[in-house]
Parts: sequence; C-alpha cells; structure tokens
Amino acid sequence: MIRAFIITLREVQGYLRDKAAMAFGLLLPIVTFALMYFAFGGESLFNGTAYIVNEDEGGEYSTLLLEKLEEIDILEVEYLPRSEADKKLDDSDLLMVVYIPSDFSEKLAAGEHAQLVFKQRGNGGQEGQIVASLVRAEAEEMNQEFQVKSQVSGILAGSGIPESQIITTTRTLLALERANPTVSVREEAVGSSPDPVRQFLPGVVSMFVLFAITLTAASLIEERRLGTLERLMTTRLSIGQLFFGKFLASTSRGLIQTAILLALGYIVFQIFSPVSFLSCLVITLVFAAAASALGMIIASIAKTPDQASWIAVFITMAMVMLGGTFFTPAQDTIFYTLGRFSLTTYSNSAFRTMIAEGGSLGDVGTELGILAAVAVVGLIISRLTFRVMPGGR
Amino acid sequence: MAEQFLIAKELHKSFNEHKAVNGISFHIDKGEIFGLLGPNGAGKTTTIRMLATVLEPDQGDVIVGGFSIKNNAEAVRNLLGVCPQELALYEDMSAMENMVFFARMTGLNSNEAKAQAMSHLELMGLTERARGKVSKFSGGMKRRVNLAVALVGHPELLFLDEPTVGIDPQSRNNIYETIEGLRDKGMTILYTTHYMEEADRLCDRIAIMDGGQIIAIDTPRQLKSRIGDSEHVTLEDVFLNLTGRSLRD
Repeated sequence: MIRAFIITLREVQGYLRDKAAMAFGLLLPIVTFALMYFAFGGESLFNGTAYIVNEDEGGEYSTLLLEKLEEIDILEVEYLPRSEADKKLDDSDLLMVVYIPSDFSEKLAAGEHAQLVFKQRGNGGQEGQIVASLVRAEAEEMNQEFQVKSQVSGILAGSGIPESQIITTTRTLLALERANPTVSVREEAVGSSPDPVRQFLPGVVSMFVLFAITLTAASLIEERRLGTLERLMTTRLSIGQLFFGKFLASTSRGLIQTAILLALGYIVFQIFSPVSFLSCLVITLVFAAAASALGMIIASIAKTPDQASWIAVFITMAMVMLGGTFFTPAQDTIFYTLGRFSLTTYSNSAFRTMIAEGGSLGDVGTELGILAAVAVVGLIISRLTFRVMPGGR
Repeated sequence: MAEQFLIAKELHKSFNEHKAVNGISFHIDKGEIFGLLGPNGAGKTTTIRMLATVLEPDQGDVIVGGFSIKNNAEAVRNLLGVCPQELALYEDMSAMENMVFFARMTGLNSNEAKAQAMSHLELMGLTERARGKVSKFSGGMKRRVNLAVALVGHPELLFLDEPTVGIDPQSRNNIYETIEGLRDKGMTILYTTHYMEEADRLCDRIAIMDGGQIIAIDTPRQLKSRIGDSEHVTLEDVFLNLTGRSLRD
C-alpha cells in the first residue's frame, strides 16, 4: 500500500510544483464565480423593447395603444416594417414582434372584434414574454374602456347627451378608477433578492471538481505515452496499487482546489459555519472520488491523450448541463431523466442543501451514498478494463 | 556448465491477426550478455515485454531464476531491472527524485533508495547534476539516467532495450563501460541494439530475430564464421545476409 501512497505523493507534488498550472487551477474557479456573480447576481430591473409592426398607421385606436405603450417607463417601443420584422424573426434576431393589422382602428370604431398578433419564435424568450404581457395589459384596458363606453352609450341612448361627452366622461372615470382601484395589489418583499453566492457557488464548485475527470484520464494516458507506465509495471508495483495511487492523487487534487474555493467563500462571504464548511469538504471528497473514478474509466478505454481529453470534456459538459449547474431541467422531461445520471445532480443538491439551506450531512445521505457508490463501481470497472498496453496485463 | 538464468520456451504472441512472436525458445546463462538483434518489426520489443512480465504470452513460458512468469510473475519482477527504449522518466522531477521514486517502487525503503540512487548516479557520472530537472538534461544524460534507474534494487537480470540510441560518443562509451562493469560483477544482461559493432563488442552470444522467429543464435565469432573469415566479416554482414537487404518499416 505504501507504493500507492508514493504514487499519490508524486502526483500531488507534481501538481504543487507546477506553479502556473496550480495558479490556473485555483484562479479559474474564482474568476468563473466572480463572472457569474457580477453577470447574474446584481439587482436588475426589467428593461425591454417592444418591436411593433404598425399597419394601421394614423388609426385612432392603434395610436392610442402605442401612446399607452410609450408611457411605460421600462419599455422602449421600436417600429419596424413588416418585411424587416419577418426577416429578423426568421433569423432569430428577434424573438417576439407585435403586429397591429391595418383594420385595427376601423373594426374597433365599428364596434367589431379586433385582434393584435404576437409573432414569436418558440416561447418568445423571457423578454418577449414580459413585453407580451405588458401589451396584453394595455389591450385589456382598451377592452375595458370599450365595454364601459358601449354600455353607458346604450343606457343613455336618446338622452340627448352628445357621444363625445359620454366618451370623455367614461375615460375620466376609468382613469380615476385606475388611479384608485377598488381592488389593488400590494407587493411585499420577503427577505433580500436571492444571494448570488449561495446561488452560484455550489454549481461552480461542482463544475471544477468535475474537471478532475480530465486530469485523471490524461495522467494515466500520459504515463502510457511516456513509457513510465510500462517501466512501473516491471517493478513490484501492482496495477491495483497504481490505480489506487492515481485515484487518491486525483481525489486529493480536487479536494485541495475546492477547499481553497470554499475557504474563500468562508472568509470573504461568510456563508459557512465551521460545521457546514467541514461538511462541504466531506461532500467534495466523495464527489471528487466519484469524478476521479470516472476519469479512470476514461483512461482505461481511451488510446491517446486527445481521445481521453475529448471524452472527458464531453462528459463534463453534459453533466454540468444536465446536473442543474446553470438551470434546473423541468420535471418529466427527458433532460430531467438524463440528469439523474449526472454526478453534478447529486453534488449540486448536496452543496445547495449545505450552502443555501443550512442543512447537515444527515440531510444529504442519499446524495453521498450515490456518489460513493459511483466511486467504488467506477474503480472496479476501470481496473477490469484497463490494460498497460494492448495484449498486456 | 553455466547456470541457465533465463529460459524462454516456445513463446508465441499475436496482436489480432499479426503474429509478432512465433514460437521462440532460447536461454541466457547467468553472468552472460545476450544480444537480441533484428530489423524493425522482428519481434524484439514484444519478446522483451513478455520476458519483463508486461505482456502475457499466448503460449509458452519463461523461467527466470527458477520462477515462471505465468505462475509467479511478482517473484520474476523482483529479479528484473528494465531499461526501456523510450526515456521512461518523469521530466518534471530531478534525476535523484526519479531514481528514488523508482527505487521505492522496487521495494526499497527511503534510506536505501536514496543511497542506491546516489551510488548509481555516480556510476553514470551524474553526481553533480543529481538535483537537476531531467527536462533540462541533454539526450545523453537522459539515457544515462534511464539506465541508472534500471539498476536500482540491484537486479540479477537486466533488460537493456537500445540503451544508446541517439547519444554522443562520450555518453555511449560511458554506457559501454558501465555494462561491462556490470557483467564483471556477474549480472545477467539481455541487450538489444541496431548498432552491430556495439553488439559485437558487448555480447557473449547473439540471437537474430526476423518475422517473429529466431533465425540464428550463437557467439558473434561463430555467427561471422558462418559466412566467411570471422576476422574480416562484420556482424553487420551476417545480419544483412540473414535478414536480407529489403527495407523494413
């Protein structure tokens, strides 16, 4: 067993000796975290643009609708000709455009049903959905106005009151109602906006532990390429000891790197108690072990360093995407099901329980169990499939 | 009669349809330098890998110091030192660190490993550069470290696979003298090379392989006398006579 530890020591010393690689290894998660923090973490108000194709130019009601839209502070209104709007939708340059048909005002003036058209790619995107709801709200107001006016006109028919006076009075009363609504909505803030540190740190930690896969796979393949693997196999070192040594080295490297990132969270953002910090290190240890075991499997099937790197990068990216690092896949979708096979699903869940919810290790027993099982099974599979060279032991 | 330290019996090894080694048998006496020569693709490296327990033979067995590589590979490995054709060294480590690391892998404790590392580096004329990173070494120095690593643990049988490729005459001469010194101390050596004059100078007996088979095995003098006057014929003449002049890739 001592030989396995010597292998581990050599690898870890090599990691610590290569100052540039170590600096990148430590700086990259910090920089990535900082980018995510500033990109997504700030308090931000919605500012959107409503793209309008107005084919009812000069129409009384289209003008009224557009005036109302332009009065909305958080909305810019940009007018486009139909051909340009269609092309931009086709090219996905725009995701949602509001079309006002040429007979919009004419129909409304005649008391007929008129229609606005929302053309969108897919679901119109987040901005498109918000713009649509703002336009829909203004259309609702116009609807309301028409219904009230039509009812009042009906009641007052034959009273001799001029139509223009009915319209003006109706609008004034509705404006008063909107200013002092009978049913109003009160917004209450519950705590501050989501803490970006707690929101993003689990994902960034998981992502960088997962990079251990690439390093582990590359390390074994590189030994094969250099010929040191063959030389080691003529010493008393067994393949089991070699595997265990490499596995321990990779796990240690993931642990060291992550411990520094977590320590940063502990010192700078003060998001941990000493207990939750140590709990996160335990999760990191088990997760790094599972990731390293996957790296060993890749090393046992890849024939060149390039093959190993690409396989590892693919698996890492797929796991990061499916495991809820950046977004949570909706339940009952294929992505959700696939996400069950991603290590990051369990690591993210465990880290979030600790960091965002203040849980304990007892709360993440299932996640730790799954990750530990992957580590053990991965090591066994990789040992069974690994060959020093084709036809070798 | 000399003790047969290594006995290879009917060794076969194929990779898919290609028969790399096709039923070779030979022995190496204790204290002998045995040359294994052959053109590229003859099966030399595959043979050495089987003897060194890295590859498992499809058929046949090898007995080293009384132990079978099939039944007791670990005991065989305890007797072996291997200097591979590649510079199988960790370039980010110093010569000393490489030596100590591989010495620990052969089972030496820390103090023994350091002592042997120092003594073998001295033997190879590398004492002053012991703490230097291997990546900064010249080709000749790397070759000497490569050989020095094979000597840790005082193996009884040494495999040297083209140990003098691509180095200057001084380093080559240092390696020759080291190998001759090891023979004088009774070490058994299997040597492969493409330099015929080297084999002629160092080897007590030579086996010439081609197409996965041994096509001749004898002392250099006897091999040369097969095609003419051994004083005037060179080993290269013998080699080309036996293996032909067509190019091998």
